[in-house]
Amino acid sequence: MSYMPGVCTFCGTGCGHYLKVSGTSVQGVFPSRVHPVSKGRLCVRGWNIHELLGTHERITRPYVRDSGEVTYRDAIATLVSALSSYKPEEIAFLASPRSSNEDNYALMKLARLVFKTNNISIQAESGHRNSLDVLYKGTGFAGMLGSLEDIRKAEVLIVAGMDITTQNPIIGSELHYAARSGSLLITIDSRMTKIAKLSKKFINIKPGTMRQVFDAIAYYMDTQQWGNTKSAHYEEYKKYLATVPFDAIEKETGVLQSEIAFVAERLAKAKSAAVFFTSGISGLSHDTVASIFNLFVLADKIGKEGCGVNPIAGINNLQGSFDMGCAPDLLTGFQSIDDAVVRKKFEKKWKDQLPASKGKTVEELLSNNSSPLKALVIVDHDDGIVRFSERLKSLPFVAYIGSFTNKVAVYAHVVLPVTTYIETDGTFTNAERRVQLSSQKCNPAFDVLPMWKLIDAIAEAMGKPFNYEHASDVMDEIASLTPAYEGISHKLLSKKHGVQWPCTKDNPGGTKYCVPHNVAFVLPQKPYAAVQVTQEYPYLLMVGKAQHYWHQNNIMHKTFIPLREYNATLLLYPDGYVAIAPEDAKKIGVRDRWPVKVVAQKAEMKAMVMISDDVAPGTAYVPYFIREGIASFLLAYSDIVSQGEEATIPVRIEKV
Amino acid sequence: MSEQKIVTVPEIATIEEIKDEIVDVKTFYLRFDNKEIDGNFKFKSGQFIMCTVFGAGEFAVSLPPSPENDRFHITVRRIGKVTNALHDLEVGDKVGIRGPFGNGFPFEEIKGKNVIYVAGGIGLIPLRSSIVHVLQHRQDFGRILLMYGSRSPQDLMYQYMLEEWQKIEGFETFITVDNGTPEWKGNVGIITTLFDKVEIPVDNTVAFVCGPPVMFNAVIKELMQRGIKDDMIISTLERHMKCGVGKCQHCAIGRTLVCTDGPVYTYRQIKTLGEQI
Amino acid sequence: MYLITKNDVKKIAKALEEKYTLYGPYLDADFGQCFFDKVTSDTVNLNAPIPANPPKHVVFPHLETIMQYKYDKNARKADIAMVFDDTPKALFGLRSCDLTGLQCIDRFFLGQEFVDEVYRHHRSRMFIVANTCVVPFKQCFCVCTDSGPAAQEGYDLNLTDLGDSYLLEVGSPKGKAFIESFTFAPATQEHLKQKQKIVEKSITMFDDIATESKAWVSRVMNRVTTGFIKEEIWEYIGNQCIECGACSYVCPTCTCFNINDANTMSGDTVRLRTWDSCSYEGYSRMAGGHNPRKPIEDRRNKRFFCKLSYSQSKKYLRPGCVGCGRCAWVCPGDIGLPNVVTYIRREIHE
Repeated sequence: MSYMPGVCTFCGTGCGHYLKVSGTSVQGVFPSRVHPVSKGRLCVRGWNIHELLGTHERITRPYVRDSGEVTYRDAIATLVSALSSYKPEEIAFLASPRSSNEDNYALMKLARLVFKTNNISIQAESGHRNSLDVLYKGTGFAGMLGSLEDIRKAEVLIVAGMDITTQNPIIGSELHYAARSGSLLITIDSRMTKIAKLSKKFINIKPGTMRQVFDAIAYYMDTQQWGNTKSAHYEEYKKYLATVPFDAIEKETGVLQSEIAFVAERLAKAKSAAVFFTSGISGLSHDTVASIFNLFVLADKIGKEGCGVNPIAGINNLQGSFDMGCAPDLLTGFQSIDDAVVRKKFEKKWKDQLPASKGKTVEELLSNNSSPLKALVIVDHDDGIVRFSERLKSLPFVAYIGSFTNKVAVYAHVVLPVTTYIETDGTFTNAERRVQLSSQKCNPAFDVLPMWKLIDAIAEAMGKPFNYEHASDVMDEIASLTPAYEGISHKLLSKKHGVQWPCTKDNPGGTKYCVPHNVAFVLPQKPYAAVQVTQEYPYLLMVGKAQHYWHQNNIMHKTFIPLREYNATLLLYPDGYVAIAPEDAKKIGVRDRWPVKVVAQKAEMKAMVMISDDVAPGTAYVPYFIREGIASFLLAYSDIVSQGEEATIPVRIEKV
Repeated sequence: MSEQKIVTVPEIATIEEIKDEIVDVKTFYLRFDNKEIDGNFKFKSGQFIMCTVFGAGEFAVSLPPSPENDRFHITVRRIGKVTNALHDLEVGDKVGIRGPFGNGFPFEEIKGKNVIYVAGGIGLIPLRSSIVHVLQHRQDFGRILLMYGSRSPQDLMYQYMLEEWQKIEGFETFITVDNGTPEWKGNVGIITTLFDKVEIPVDNTVAFVCGPPVMFNAVIKELMQRGIKDDMIISTLERHMKCGVGKCQHCAIGRTLVCTDGPVYTYRQIKTLGEQI
Repeated sequence: MYLITKNDVKKIAKALEEKYTLYGPYLDADFGQCFFDKVTSDTVNLNAPIPANPPKHVVFPHLETIMQYKYDKNARKADIAMVFDDTPKALFGLRSCDLTGLQCIDRFFLGQEFVDEVYRHHRSRMFIVANTCVVPFKQCFCVCTDSGPAAQEGYDLNLTDLGDSYLLEVGSPKGKAFIESFTFAPATQEHLKQKQKIVEKSITMFDDIATESKAWVSRVMNRVTTGFIKEEIWEYIGNQCIECGACSYVCPTCTCFNINDANTMSGDTVRLRTWDSCSYEGYSRMAGGHNPRKPIEDRRNKRFFCKLSYSQSKKYLRPGCVGCGRCAWVCPGDIGLPNVVTYIRREIHE
């Protein structure tokens, strides 16, 4: 009787599983057959999650740099006295997209209410935020419009630039299932991924031209008068489409006009269609997401069953972190901090004033050496932040909160351990807005506090206790302040595989697919910026982290099999690599694993060569590695890298 | 069915001496702490052991010493997590040894034959045991040849041994490097170029081949073209192993397990395994 | 052979519970999923559907410590101890496919050149009560693999639900000795005939997947053994594999494992044995990166070769598949074993 139901916390799919718990240790895992999303499946990570939960690399005692291991009381006292000595704009909080909603909400409240700062963010900001911004502007919903459960109901399914069977394998499996039972599965990508092989149609595009391709499909749909012209801002959108270089589309993107026409026609004429694209750090730019969204507005595939514009979160609670207001300009449920009415509501509930002006993201504060940042509280973060190691070292105060040992913790003046997610109650919101309760399965293996309780203790030490008895109290407070979570409580979620928000008191069953009151086209912010190679810099370097290195790296390192499978390339190329096509390798005169220099206009780096058929000739691919050489290279191009998956930089590659 | 063997706990051994061979390759001379085993560790040439580096893990490694009158040692390349940890050890440190495992070279069946050794790079390590054994029983064999190639003179394994071997009368040694250096006076060219320079016996001849896959395939082709039969070409395979005793299945190739059925195979067997080398 | 009441069945469970750790099928209280795990005589449920997990984990846990050691670098001293689990275990209500699977693992771990000590200890003091499948489940195809719906051997006791009572068969001296303390009414040949009828009826109730594949499993085995299967078939199968490893993890006969040493906070190191799967890319990759089995179709090919070839069957003395159908429902692709048989069969047809 030791199999206990729960939620897998690796990626944003939110699969249902059972953990085999004995005492305080987890000895196995098994999929849940009746879970609406995963239906009895798990991926390699999910099947081996007990390796992580059984790791010996836990933080077990609070730690203060000058005193060593101390009690929680002393550690909290050190933290509080340090933080109170700085001005609000000098303090920042780095929340974790892996923390539960309750933990993130408590942290957000601590930052805003107790330390009066809006400098709170998660690191995986750009991609998912871009998606949410576009969807919010266009529909009023800041989340996936469709539903993973509905995938089998869609006639046409499009996967845009995402290695979905690696990043969110069970969603990939659902797409494959739909394709087998008759849906038209189309993959638009610059790499031949597994989902591309499983697709009925694979459209191979030049790197960095995703936006052009989607606009071209829209352009064709519009000229054939198949589109919906009733949505707001149509006229402006039509004007914008007129700038699409349709006649030169093959030259620009590598896609034939006939292929564009094929997709346009099938999409317009299908009863239902959904599109999936990657989110998180290597997500798409605002304008690319807008292009994808606009195409679906034009095709009239919003707010219907089996339809959806679906950003896929790679991290288990990425969606939830935004829902909980872990952003410098947001309160819970995408409510803007600028909105005085909203602020008033929170102030009334929290019984104190909130800082009114927008804060800054931690990334902004760290990358700008002249920012006022002095004190930083980091929650459960991975090596990604280490690329700011110089800045971290120079900060007068850093605190680290987390369950597992971590390279970031060495920069901390105070380390506060917390429980793992199975040692307390908490909810997680997956990519399809499904809020799922993960119940406590065992007592904490060590004498450590759940994070929501720790945060409360910090607040109490500051004289402003939150008075949470149980994690469900936190959720009740969230529900009272967040319209989309209004009907959600731990009681509602128990013995249930979650509820998709918006979930109101009148609609306790939640919302499978979002039906907006008004749909509007979202106009792009920037013109096309096609990056061209030159004679001096003949290769187009793509920067991504999708497959190789992501937020989960920190936890992946504590497992055996997922580490072996997902970080395979990291193990083989420990100092990072640049992937090139076999014919280019011949031209440069290098073999696999040979060292090369990658030279761009503003910076250069050294890396090992990886020869791969997945990379088209003339292009090179470098994963978002956190090795010093590569990190400084990427910092020099941070404006481009922040575009995520589409980022391209012209470079030349030299044999060393 | 033969008597069932039992999987034992590792025997503890002390590192007595560490010798740097080439870049990233070291030889570790070992002495068993258990007096009953030390100096009396029975194994066959061609077998392998599982070596535990405490705190890091266990890896499979071939045994380069001859079973008779040879100092017990292993030669290891620094390549993964565990071998890295081994390389960081010092003289006096302990390691754990399980084994020996595997089938070993078929010396009884090749008595009286000419023996050719063809090795590439660190492929000489697993053949060393056989070479020393054959030289120890010189009278049981016909001509003995060694053809050895490496990327550069710095990459030649067991250089001190090679020098000695070259002095042994009736042991025909041919060495080549892919890329020479100004100091290098010997052959330059990939290993197959030696085949044109050496008069190779074909009848009543057995060839031992070991090296990286590309070199292996090229050498096999040369040998077969000259008329050496596939069952007279012997190699020892390397696979990812976890248990060494036929249970973890990591080293399975088709119907055989390298740990219990191998690691020594004839090319005739290898051909039917249906997998890359 | 005895005729016993449902209450007697519970009595047997109760008696076993006193001497053994009792394992059996139970229904999860929250969502009704059936598991085979530790139970009490009150929670064990013989009417539950086929458990989602096979009993493999009882004797071959998902994650277990097989050795513990401490190396004192300064004193240059190593203490090593194997870790064995030989608690007495009773498997109660084992279905015939799972019992057959257990026998396969026995033959593999105990019946080869080397004996697996860790496994031998797990298995050493075990009592097995089998349960005849009066009604097959949707996923089942044990009739194609000669492993059901009724157990033939390998049990200490076997139960068959005759409707208002149970037929209790004794399969070993251990079972006989155990049952002696009870005063059960003996059963007659009539009852045995009744059981046979029930089994025959059960066989007619199998779903299409079993009835269609019945003769085909052996023909496909022939094909797989001789290797006369087109590359395209493996490629098609390989493309659908997302390398989750589920098929191996839920298979009652898969025994591949991985070994890793983990350093604990107390300074000890534990050697952990965890399940592994041949579908993983890292499974056959060697240190340094060379992988003889890199393409996914090679790896898929390996699994089905293991389950469906004569040469591999030698180690189990039967096909490596027991027809439980679990791999089909956990597969994110469409390549559970019955489907693979179908793909190969289609090719034979063409």
